[in-house]
Amino acid sequence: MNKPFGSIVLDISFRYLVPFILMYGIYVLIHGEYSPGGGFQAGALLAIGIILARLIQGEESSFNISGDTAVILAGLGTLIFAGVGVISLIWSGNVLEYGVFPLNVHKESELHPLGILGIEIGVTICVAAVIIAIYDALTRRDDAI
Amino acid sequence: MLELSMLTILLFLLVLTGVTALVVRDILAAIILFSAFSFFAVLLYLVLGAPDVAFTEAVIGVVSTVFFVAALKKLGRRYVS
Repeated sequence: MNKPFGSIVLDISFRYLVPFILMYGIYVLIHGEYSPGGGFQAGALLAIGIILARLIQGEESSFNISGDTAVILAGLGTLIFAGVGVISLIWSGNVLEYGVFPLNVHKESELHPLGILGIEIGVTICVAAVIIAIYDALTRRDDAI
Repeated sequence: MLELSMLTILLFLLVLTGVTALVVRDILAAIILFSAFSFFAVLLYLVLGAPDVAFTEAVIGVVSTVFFVAALKKLGRRYVS
């Protein structure tokens, strides 16, 4: 990570842009309740950060996610979404009813943003992984797609 | 009045970039024109007061441009035959 790669423009743009884009993706995810943004945009921003790192550094990038791992992560995100939706059935609520979670909060309405955040985390992981998987399939070297 | 004139200019630029991207022979130029079309759509959504849609369109415009350029590199030719 300490050795330079490519020209100085690529070096500086990688070291300044990629952490900013990744942190902005996390901010859009967490703050999506109160401002424009949400799970889809946050996932696309995280995927843009990882794709930018891979465009600059190539296959041996510092934090590269291969296509097979991306497909597994997409399934994991869908599982988180479905799990948060279904787990409220245990405490005899409806699907996606967040008010029945047995957490210690002051008001019951505070549980709603928590449930939305769980859903959005699943959406973020799924969208980012699917975008990386599509990019990996487009730039794969061998002819067998 | 200002908003109406901005809407008119943006819609004109949107149609211009869209039609040019359809008729141009160079595929890379068509991709860049499509990126410009996406950016004008972002500005149009902002003028119309939908920042959430504009944010989504900006992010997806960047991602689709990267996808198109990657597919063009795999395609191996540059011009429409």
